[in-house]
Amino acid sequence: MLPSMVEDYLEAILEIAENSGRPPTVEEIAAALKTGKETASSTIAALAREGYLEQVGDAVRLTEKGAALASKVARKHTVLQCFLTEMLGIDTNSASREACTLEHGISDDTIERLSSYMSGTATMPGRMRRRRGQETVTLLDCNEGDIARVALMRGPGGHRRLLDLGVFPGEIVEIRRKLPNNSVVVRVKGCDIAISPEIARSIFVESCP
Amino acid sequence: MKIVLIGNPNVGKSLIFNQLTGLGVEVSNYPGTTVELQRGNTCFQREIIEIVDLPGVYSLEGNSEEEDLARRFLEQEDVDAVVVVASATRLERNLYLLLQVAEYGLPMVVVLNMVDEAAKRGLEIDPGPLHDLLGVEVLLTAASQGLNIDRIIPAALTASRPAKIEIPYDHHIEAAIRSLGKIFGVDRKESLRALQGFGDSPELLEAARTIADEIESRHRMTVAQIIAANRHNFARSLAELTVKEKHPPAGTDPDSILTRFIPGMPILVAILVGMLLFVFVVGSFLEEAIVEVFEVYAIQPFLALGLHPLLEEVGASILLALQAGLGIALPYVFLFYIIISILEDSGYMTRAAFLADNAMHRLGMHGGAVIPITLAFGCNVPAIMSTRLLHSRRERIIASILVTMVPCSARTVIIAGIVAGFVGLAAAFSVYAIVFVLIILTGLLLSRVVPGERFGMIMEMAPLRRPVPRLVMKKAWSRLSEFLFIAMPLLLLGSVVLGLLEFFGVMTVFEGIVEPYTMGLLGLPGYSATALIFGILRKEMAFETLAILAGTADLGAVLSSLQVYVFAVVTVLFVPCLATITVLLREVGSRITFAITVYTVALGLLIGGFIHHLFS
Repeated sequence: MLPSMVEDYLEAILEIAENSGRPPTVEEIAAALKTGKETASSTIAALAREGYLEQVGDAVRLTEKGAALASKVARKHTVLQCFLTEMLGIDTNSASREACTLEHGISDDTIERLSSYMSGTATMPGRMRRRRGQETVTLLDCNEGDIARVALMRGPGGHRRLLDLGVFPGEIVEIRRKLPNNSVVVRVKGCDIAISPEIARSIFVESCP
Repeated sequence: MKIVLIGNPNVGKSLIFNQLTGLGVEVSNYPGTTVELQRGNTCFQREIIEIVDLPGVYSLEGNSEEEDLARRFLEQEDVDAVVVVASATRLERNLYLLLQVAEYGLPMVVVLNMVDEAAKRGLEIDPGPLHDLLGVEVLLTAASQGLNIDRIIPAALTASRPAKIEIPYDHHIEAAIRSLGKIFGVDRKESLRALQGFGDSPELLEAARTIADEIESRHRMTVAQIIAANRHNFARSLAELTVKEKHPPAGTDPDSILTRFIPGMPILVAILVGMLLFVFVVGSFLEEAIVEVFEVYAIQPFLALGLHPLLEEVGASILLALQAGLGIALPYVFLFYIIISILEDSGYMTRAAFLADNAMHRLGMHGGAVIPITLAFGCNVPAIMSTRLLHSRRERIIASILVTMVPCSARTVIIAGIVAGFVGLAAAFSVYAIVFVLIILTGLLLSRVVPGERFGMIMEMAPLRRPVPRLVMKKAWSRLSEFLFIAMPLLLLGSVVLGLLEFFGVMTVFEGIVEPYTMGLLGLPGYSATALIFGILRKEMAFETLAILAGTADLGAVLSSLQVYVFAVVTVLFVPCLATITVLLREVGSRITFAITVYTVALGLLIGGFIHHLFS
């Protein structure tokens, strides 16, 4: 059986169970997946043999293993659909359809990154420290020697000179120097750029592996 | 024929220009000095060719004065060939500007300069791919050694052609370029400029604004950011084809010492104090020698001529002005500018700016203000001119005010000559201390009251390199000539006016009127007021004038230590000299100049009066 099929079934069962508040029947599952009853019941039997489901009479219940996989897939679906509609502006129906296809191929890591990207609360691995009570990380939060990717730049005119010197969202910069008074020097494209604290504060970064 | 040089700062462009034309232009190692165009002529195959050196810029779409100038020049002037000078050591960043120039579609030639430096760093430069992709001539040069410089003009005249390359932009941008092109009939370059808010046609700008908003809402990036990213990424791909890093060089980075708080700060302070001491000691030695020579070979023979008294007065005034001007200009100002030029050309000045950024913020400016403030120790005139490198009018106003308070070499002469001579060395340094404290207090106050936008510093650290003595001297000379040609004529004029007033006895009347006030306020005799007034015309002359009016050079015999001290403090603070006022009028306008004058007069009288009443 294809992994995508397993995931589709488990996801559907989870969804129906959550919506109706009781374990779904084979008919309901077949209707949700737009497939025949025979196909559905044979697949369900196969899934039960692999330990994802248990059949109690007419109803189908997820095992612990099945529930874990189902909620993971459901989360991927939600994140993707959210990304497709909120960020890319795709309409809800098409987004849901596309999310159904994408959710099977996408890695857990990518989903986590996508999710943290959208919520704007990127978790920073590595040496970069975060200030308490502050959700975002700016150049000022980096230490000397850190390498960071520019995520977002705020400020008057987007700091045109920084763009021209090669500091733009997506570019990787190295923090060469940070004085106690928060003036920083970053190296980008082999050149060192001195930046005042108030400008460094408006450059949001994320660490890069 | 007109050939234009364009390139990033610190790529050796001005040096190339110098070698092409033989004309003395300023070569500088920090961004922003050559705001004005440099033009020069050269002859090639019996044809006169005009060469224009545009200021060093990072982009053609920036909003700085230099970038605006470069952009307007390329758009409006009739240019036969553009020579794009790029540094082989920082090729990727330099290609960003090159790509923008290429989009202008003007006939161009590419010069990859500093290949010697690149070789030292283990970079191997292959001009082939760049030549093939751009379809233009690419020269490898090393201006510091004169390598291949002679090939630039022939290449520009015979082989320059528009670059055939097109930067691939984000598909939304490309779509916007197509739509704008279809609706308004504008080309690629104009569409890109319009999307970033540049252009002349209001309809085009409005349409572009609408499209740009749409793109921005989809990308979470501004259009300028997307375009810059596309260009930089394309530049990277070109640079990767051109530059091969063979063996990364070993060795320590001097910046690990210079820009660290410790020991960077102590080094900065040591350099500044060392510079002052050096100029002080060597300058006073040279000054004595020059003044002596003048005295023996010019003034005494002139007085021995026995001319008509009026003529003699005028002539003596001129000679005295020359004596004092050259006695100060040559030793103090010139020595000072040599040292500053070394600091600039070595790239240290940008480190100093970085270290001082925080301190300068408190005074309402940013790190770049270190340059005018340091220059001001030599002469305030070039210092005020250099405030142009600050971005906002607010910063320029604050810097101008503080610059006029910095003790220039003429005021150093007063402090060294009067206070150190008649009161003591410690007292002389206390005058400096008073002035510095007042400068800081004024800065703190101004940073709160002067309206306008605040900008932080974004400054490229100039690469550290060994200064070329010839270029250092050239630059020091060009700054000195600002002093000689702007300040000196005013000094001469002031001196003659002073001589004439004295000749016709105006002084005596004036002294009688002000005596009660100066005595009451400062405890100084009336003739000291005359000396102060003439300090406006020529600062260092306040000392001489005082000596002449007092009737003796031994001021200690006629004035108490306190009087000498008060006189020096007031003179140092009192009104910038006439030359400074002239430059202030040009740079910041009459209102600010008037305010500065009133402020410094009030400050001088206030502090002088305070010291007088405190100690008497």
